[in-house]
Order: sequence, then C-alpha cells, then structure tokens
Amino acid sequence: MKPLKARTRVLLHSTPLRLAVALVVLFAIVSLASLGASYLVIRDSLNQTMESDLRQELAGFQAAPSAGAVAQLINAEAAVTDPERRILSYLTASGKHFGNGLVAQSREGFRVISLPDGQDLSEGKYLALTTRLHGGLLTIANSRAQIEDLGELFLSILFLSLLPTTVIALAAGLLFARRSGRRIEALGRTLERLTEGDLSARVRKMDGRTDDLSIIAAQVDRMAAAQQSSVNALRQVSADIAHDLKTPIQRVAVLLNRAREWPDLPDQLGTILDEAGRETTGIVATFQSLLQIAQIEGGSPKNRFGPVDLGALAATFVEVYEPAADESGHSLVSDLPGEGAATVSGDKGLLGQVLANLIENALRHTPAGTSICVAVSADARAVELTVSDTGPGIPPEERENVLRRLYRLESSRTTPGNGLGLSLVAVIADLHDARLELASNDPGLIVRLTFPADAQKTD
Amino acid sequence: MKILVIEDDRTTGNYIADGLREEGHIVDLMSDGKEALLQASTTDYDILIVDRMLPGLDGVALVKTLRGAMNQTPVLFLTSLGGVDDRIEGLNAGGDDYLVKPFAFGELSARVAALARRPRTTQEEVVLRAGDLEMDLVRRRVTRADQIIDLLPREFALLEHLLRRKGRVQTRTMLLEAVWDISFDPQTNVVETHISRLRAKVDKPFEKDLIKTVRGSGYRIEE
Repeated sequence: MKPLKARTRVLLHSTPLRLAVALVVLFAIVSLASLGASYLVIRDSLNQTMESDLRQELAGFQAAPSAGAVAQLINAEAAVTDPERRILSYLTASGKHFGNGLVAQSREGFRVISLPDGQDLSEGKYLALTTRLHGGLLTIANSRAQIEDLGELFLSILFLSLLPTTVIALAAGLLFARRSGRRIEALGRTLERLTEGDLSARVRKMDGRTDDLSIIAAQVDRMAAAQQSSVNALRQVSADIAHDLKTPIQRVAVLLNRAREWPDLPDQLGTILDEAGRETTGIVATFQSLLQIAQIEGGSPKNRFGPVDLGALAATFVEVYEPAADESGHSLVSDLPGEGAATVSGDKGLLGQVLANLIENALRHTPAGTSICVAVSADARAVELTVSDTGPGIPPEERENVLRRLYRLESSRTTPGNGLGLSLVAVIADLHDARLELASNDPGLIVRLTFPADAQKTD
Repeated sequence: MKILVIEDDRTTGNYIADGLREEGHIVDLMSDGKEALLQASTTDYDILIVDRMLPGLDGVALVKTLRGAMNQTPVLFLTSLGGVDDRIEGLNAGGDDYLVKPFAFGELSARVAALARRPRTTQEEVVLRAGDLEMDLVRRRVTRADQIIDLLPREFALLEHLLRRKGRVQTRTMLLEAVWDISFDPQTNVVETHISRLRAKVDKPFEKDLIKTVRGSGYRIEE
C-alpha cells in the first residue's frame, strides 16, 4: 500500500476525475452563457414596458390646463400611490413641491436615479421620466425593484442548476478514478514484474467489463505471452544447440580417454592426447560462456536473487586462484571488509563467475611479476568490487570494445583465453543493476563494479 | 549395483555402460524416454542415470513422473546445459545429482558411488576416524597418533569432507562444490594445492599415507 498522500495525488491526477472536472467547467460556462442571455432579453423587455408605462402616465398629466391643475392632479394621485412602487413629483417654477416624493431632476427624459438619503423610501433604484410642464418640472419614477429581483432570480437558478451537477459529476469522477486507479495499479504491477524478468506475470481479467483499460490489459497479457514464448523458444534453441554440440564433444572426450588408456602408449602420443583433452575443455568453456550469456540476456528471472556477502565470496575466489597466481609468478592480494559488511542482492553462482573471470583475465593478460589486487568496499548506498593490476592495461579507445562478445585486443591474440570473460562479466553486472567501468590504474587496468547496496539490509 | 542408464547417444551410452560394467555393476542401457519410464517403474534399480534431453519423453518429465509415483530411486542427471537455472530445475524435478557434459568417467563413477551410499545416518557423528587419525568436530581438533595437527579452516573442511566419505572417491569438482561452494570449474589447481598442504600436515610426518590419489578421478581417504 502506498502512503495516503501519494495515493491522493495519483487519484487527483487520474483521467476520469480530470474529465469530470472539465465537464463541470464546460457545463458551468454553457449555463452561464444561456442564462445570462435570457436575463438580458427579459430585462430589456421589462425596461421597455416600464418606459412606455411612464410615457402613458405622463401624457395623462400633460392634458391638465394649468400648473395649479397639475399640482392638484399630482396630489390626488400621490395620495393613493405607494412611493415604494411609484414616485410622483411636481416642482413649480416658484419652488413649491407637490407629490409623494421629491425628485430634484432638472433635465428632461429618462434617468435611473436613487432617492437621496433622508427620504425613507425604497432603497432600490427608480426609472424616472421628467418633463417641463407649465414652467414646473414633472417627474414620474417607477421602482426598478422588479428588474433587480430578476437578476437575483437568475443567479439562484444558475446556482441551483450548477450545484447538483457539480457534486454528482465530481463524485462519479472520483468513483471511476478509484476504480480505474485500482486497475491501472494492477497493470503497473504486472509491467513492473515483466520488466524485472518475471515473464509469467499477467494482468488477467478485470471484473468482466470491456472498456479501454481491460483492452489494454488484454494487450499487455498478449505481449507478455508472446515475449515469454519467444524467450522459451530461445531457451529451447540454446538447449538444442547445447545438446547437439555437447554430444559430439562428449564422444571426443570418450575417445580421447579410451586412447589415453591404450596399453604401451608412447609418451609423445600421451602428451598429444593430453593437449587434445585440454583443447576440448577450452571448447566447452567457451561454449558454456556463450550459452550463459544467451540465457541471461534471454531474461533470467531475478527471483532467485538473495543476499550475497561479496567480501566473503571475493575471499573464496582469491583463495581459489592463489595457486594459479603462484604458478604464473603473479602476486594476488586482497583488500576485503569483514564478514557481512558488503552484502548485495544477487545470484551467488553468477557473482562467483564474475570474480573468477576478472581474476583469470588479470592473470592471463599481465606478465609474471604483476601484482593483482581484489578489493571490496561498501558504504550506505553502494558496494564496490574492484580487480586491479599493474600490467600493460588497455588503451582508452579499446576499453568499450573489450566488453563486446568475442572481441580480443590484437596484442593479446597470442595469450590463451576466449575473449568472453569480460562480456560475461558485463552481462552479469547488467543483470545485477551494477555499473561496470574499466579505467587506468596508472599503470595497468582497474575493473570496477558498483552494486546498489542490498535494500533488505539498509532498510 | 543395478543401474539403468537412459542416454540417447549411443557412443556416450555405451561408454557409460561399459565403464560401469567393468566396475562390476549390472547395467541396462535405454535410449527412449517413454520406454525407459516403463522400465524404471517396473524394475527395481539402485540408481538411474538420466540424460536431460531424450527422444519420446525428456529427462526432467521422466523423473518428475517417477517421483510422482513415489519412486525414490536416486537419480543422476546428465546434461548438456550447465547453467545454474538448469541445475536448479533438474534438482527440483527430483534429481539427486547433476553432471554436465562432457565429463570424465572417473567423475561419473565417483558420483554414482556417492549417490548409492547417500548418507542415511541420522545420528550426528562427533568424532571422525581413519586409522590413527581423529577429528573432533566439537572441539574442532585433529590428532594423529595423539599428536595435535594444526589445520587452517579450509583444510579442516576438506579433511572433514573426505573423512565423512571414507573409502569413497571424491573428484575435484565434487570437492570444489562441497568445500568451496563453487558449482563451475574455475580451471585452477586449488584442490590439488590444498590436498598437498593437507598431506604435508596429515600424512608426511607419519608412516602411512591416508589420503590416496585415484588416478584420473580424485582423492579418497583409506584406513
């Protein structure tokens, strides 16, 4: 289980949730636009109605013959009119005011006004129509409360339609995101296992639904199956080749043995037979290395990996090669940490082969008298294995080539060996996520392998 | 001993069969997997020597089938592949030992002898003896003719291995596997070197040599 924070982040970034959010935003924009347009149309028509209403009203007063008559009419009308709804105001030339509210409006025509403070009337705005009549100013103003209420109404409609949509869409998005999240996790886990070399890993069926994810899952499974069968085919081919080649080699070994046991065998012939026997062993060794490289590159599963004490393993191989080093006049020394101090996760057999090949290479390609040092060191993050010598070394431009299969430096053609040693080391290093470097030891060669420290130990 | 050899290559098969017969064993040689399975299930053998790749039925499937039928006859696999994977697959299938081709007859013979007398003893021995040589496993002390012999850890392990298998030949690859835990042949004479160091301490100062060299095969401790 991943930590909650990481899981939440993954959830928030998931496709279904993002889709839901995008849909909600789109829906909001469309609603806003259509409701806004309706609002504007309705408000416009309400305004027009109000204006023609005011004109009609005004026309009624304009029919009055004198200022006094207008004042009388206004007063009569004002008495029965709620100033919250409509204000009637007549200001005569002499400054006398009639009506249910004072509007100090000097210009003619339509105006949107607010009543000055102090007049305890409606707080809202009014639409006022002013005209000059018999020297005075007549203003009739209708409350715009109706229009302003309309705006609020539309806002409520917008809110009421958006809220449930948003909640439902987001909840559904989250639900789908969690569901698909689980399936994407399953896909991820399978791909991870496949990458690690476990080719039997499959996503398997997903809850019987057929959607894009389960189609991808099926495709991943098909790909894994194809990969597995091609690896199996490769294994079968190497097994067949091995069988077909080793059987005759076995026969040769049998025949050589029989010849060796011949009664009264001349010494010279015995020497030749021994030589032939050694050559057979060499053929087998080369062939074995090739087979092993092919098998590891063909996807050797890491599930056999366990903690390996690299220091102890190096000590064993230094001991194993000591007699050979003595014989060839090399000095083989080691610089190793205490037991368990340098542990890596790996395959003990393969790592042993790495050590054997590196030491063997150093013995083969350096002259007598050369010192060879096997060192292992470890810190919190990495374990380092180096095999260094003080021999002729490898020119910088040749170092890359050395790791290529069957490649051998021109100058070392005369020394025995099959050129596969370092290639096998490179393949095994790769399998262990270790970095392989060849560098100059000034003089000589230093081969350095850097392993990630064993996770189980550092945890 | 009665041994069934299942090997499809005639030359190799005859070589194994002839060699084992010379050593006094009774040997049946078969080349087809299915026929061999029938033969192995109906006849009582002391040891089966099975090639991994056989026509009809491959060696691993054959041994799995036998083990499934509760047949516990010791099995020595012969294989062309020498990878760790193949080794583990073979041993998991129920094989008791594993020999990579090409092999010398001495190697095969030593392994057959080892399988036939697989340690059945459950009681742990505390003192191993050969002649006047004594190895005290608890005190980790070796004496011969009551003289204490100082051994390095590896020499001690080597001597212990040979003493536990007194009278049986141990080849250098068997010793590499058991004492150094190395399952491939590093082509060095580390075994020879350690044997000669061991001899210098255990045999040289005394009258009778206990550690014998078996020509073309390996080493053996004799009383």
